[in-house]
Amino acid sequence: MFLQTLITGLSIGGIYALMAVGYSLVFSVLNFSNFAHGAVIMLGAYVGLALATKLDFGFGLVLAGSVAGAGIIAVLNEKLAYSSLRRRKAPSLYLMISAMGCAVFLENLVYATIGSRFYAFPEFFGRQVVTIFGSSVSLLDVGAFLFALIAILGLHLFINRTRTGTAIRAGVCDMTMCSLMGVDLNRLIAIVFLLAGAFAGVAGVFLGIKYLVYPTMGWVTNKAYIAAVIGGLGSLPGALAGGLILGVVETFVSTYISSVLRDVFSFTLLIAFLVWRPNGLMGIDSEEKV
Amino acid sequence: MDYILSIVVLACINMIAVLGLSIFTGFTGLFSLGHAAFVGVGAYTSAILTYYYSIPFPLALAAGAAAAGAVSLVIGIPTLRAKLRSDYFAIAILGFGEALRVILENLDITNGARGLPGIDSFTTLPVVLLCLAVGILVARNFLRSRWGVACIAIREDPIAAEMAGVRLFQTRLLSLVVSAVYCGLSGGLLAHFLSFIQPVMFTLLQSTQLLAAVIAGGMGSITGPLIASFVFIALPEALRVAQMWRLVAYGLLLVLIMVYRPQGLMGYSELSSLWRRKVPEPGRRQL
Amino acid sequence: MNVSTEKLFSARGLTKHFDGIRAVDSFSFDVAEGSITGIIGPNGAGKTTVFNVVTGIYRPTSGKVLFRSENITGLRPDRVVRKGIARTFQNIRLFNRRTCLDNVITPLFQRERCSFTGSLLGTPGARRLERDLYERAFELLRALGLERFASMQANNLPYGLQRKLEIARALATEPSLLLLDEPAAGMNPGETRGLANLIAEVREKFRVTILLIEHHMDLVMNICSPIVVMNFGTLLARGTPDEVRSNPDVVAAYLGKGKDLR
Repeated sequence: MFLQTLITGLSIGGIYALMAVGYSLVFSVLNFSNFAHGAVIMLGAYVGLALATKLDFGFGLVLAGSVAGAGIIAVLNEKLAYSSLRRRKAPSLYLMISAMGCAVFLENLVYATIGSRFYAFPEFFGRQVVTIFGSSVSLLDVGAFLFALIAILGLHLFINRTRTGTAIRAGVCDMTMCSLMGVDLNRLIAIVFLLAGAFAGVAGVFLGIKYLVYPTMGWVTNKAYIAAVIGGLGSLPGALAGGLILGVVETFVSTYISSVLRDVFSFTLLIAFLVWRPNGLMGIDSEEKV
Repeated sequence: MDYILSIVVLACINMIAVLGLSIFTGFTGLFSLGHAAFVGVGAYTSAILTYYYSIPFPLALAAGAAAAGAVSLVIGIPTLRAKLRSDYFAIAILGFGEALRVILENLDITNGARGLPGIDSFTTLPVVLLCLAVGILVARNFLRSRWGVACIAIREDPIAAEMAGVRLFQTRLLSLVVSAVYCGLSGGLLAHFLSFIQPVMFTLLQSTQLLAAVIAGGMGSITGPLIASFVFIALPEALRVAQMWRLVAYGLLLVLIMVYRPQGLMGYSELSSLWRRKVPEPGRRQL
Repeated sequence: MNVSTEKLFSARGLTKHFDGIRAVDSFSFDVAEGSITGIIGPNGAGKTTVFNVVTGIYRPTSGKVLFRSENITGLRPDRVVRKGIARTFQNIRLFNRRTCLDNVITPLFQRERCSFTGSLLGTPGARRLERDLYERAFELLRALGLERFASMQANNLPYGLQRKLEIARALATEPSLLLLDEPAAGMNPGETRGLANLIAEVREKFRVTILLIEHHMDLVMNICSPIVVMNFGTLLARGTPDEVRSNPDVVAAYLGKGKDLR
């Protein structure tokens, strides 16, 4: 029972982490909470769903299509809703409100056009089960967890080992200086959103397979946001750690205490972290300058 | 006629909540994505009092407003004391609002997610208009008082405000409580107008709508948000637009305002001279 | 107003570290009641940090701040203000979207005891108080020659007048010690001379002691005595303008070797 709970928690945590990465990437560069990320995940799931059901694509192609689709949507989102705010150095709250507007807009646009129906992905993984230490776990859960780990590791390497990654890290420290050194900020930020969108696409497909596809599925990202805060907004290892911790803790709370309390618990955790440890477990110091 | 009447009543109820949030956001400079929860607390408290305990309506309304104010202390004290970054504060209160909704969905006395039906409909147009008028008058007096002046000073520059003798934490907390009381009152009126309340009526979406009205109307203005709030409620109702298309428009509107006109309809100004203060005549007394 | 030998204010071993950088390092100095004390020093010497520590905006890493022999170290800014210390800011911090009158009335209001319900209901008493405060605010503006701009929004004032408005707002807290952080920054020589007169006038009229940070040597040498010289967060010298001017350490640190401090 204990092990089963732990493994379920880790697999949920893996998906949280995939989503949290998107928040952290954007936060680290633009210093605001991109609440439209949930909507991008939702759209990524719809793209994947369309490819899987209308074109009968296999899992790999669905994933690739969803990654590409969500990536493009995220970049467009930045160009249309954030770039002018960013250029005139608006307060981060304005960006956050704009993001909120995007989320409300996109979700309800899907709701109004495609409808509120729940759609299921074809069963890519069937009901296959693997046995780990005597407890049976669905292949999907293990796959999601492993994929999340690999993807985040890959992103970590990209950011630390490549030229573009170095530019992103420089942008995290000081955008103005970065542009003075000859980095094309618009391109840099587009890449950041492309990466965040790509992760949203992956998260969307896994979420969709696990829990169905519907317009408000993006609200699960509330949890991912909490995970990002726990790990420290703006930190990639933090997003992974925060996601896994939240996934495990939540699963334990709902298994051993009460499933109702689970959400109250998560939100309390969010507030507690914001109040007492706003930089999270691994976050960088991001004090508002006096 | 009844239809138009109900639109007006609903718009006025919404205006009371927006008035409260305007004090907090527009005049104190703190953003909240959770004020719908205070509307919910007011709605449930007053509805439970009249429904189960047959408490007189005005008393129940007052109790709902007071309960919302008290609940706001729970989130306000730790977060405002910690001087969170403004966006962290908005998120903390968002989390609080969502947690409150989950609690409302799981209590017996609130009848859970199914909602509370059969609340007496005490809220009539005169009642709402009276509440709104008193609310506007009190808000105006508040903003001219020692505390209101302090709130505005904090919005303009918290450090300079402190050096002008303003107590940062206490003033921000007071502003939060005052705004929550307005929201609680609005909730009580709403419950006794619709006769039915449900936790999903007080979610992040509604909080965003309240904030949208304040921002669209203009920061640091009372009349602007009131107009925006009326338009937000009345226009889609009058045009009989489906709920989801309304939300599509709200979302788009928020983005457009942020991109093209962040000061909103009438940022930092008022519609009528009612709000302008008389300045003492120059040269009447020598120093 | 006579300069007494009575100490109004003293800092003892004041130290402030930022992530290992010692902005202020065991810095001690006194301010005599009624004096106009000047703090000078090269950029980055830690002058403004001293003001921020004294007024409670930063907590000192160690050391003590004494005001009228009372330990006020680490008090919140609004408490420090209530003790009788007011300040202006190097990078002007006005309530920008409010009128000049509102800028000044804010501190005046904070000193009053008001009834909350009375204020909300707009009782005659509350209105009378408001009217009185507006008159007092207007008089303060007049004292600084700002009465013509009473209902102008603060950020529409010309730069020099914004500095004056900050002084008016600081005086509205009824301080006995007024800290001015580079009051002449951005002023032309004519305006600077006017400011020197104004500071002397303010000291007489409002019976305040003044501590000021300034880079304009003319202004400091003309109106300040004593002058405290800071360098790298520590006290370099202290004395009358003449003493400071002829101090070789000061000349070396401040202007580089071989130059004359005029």
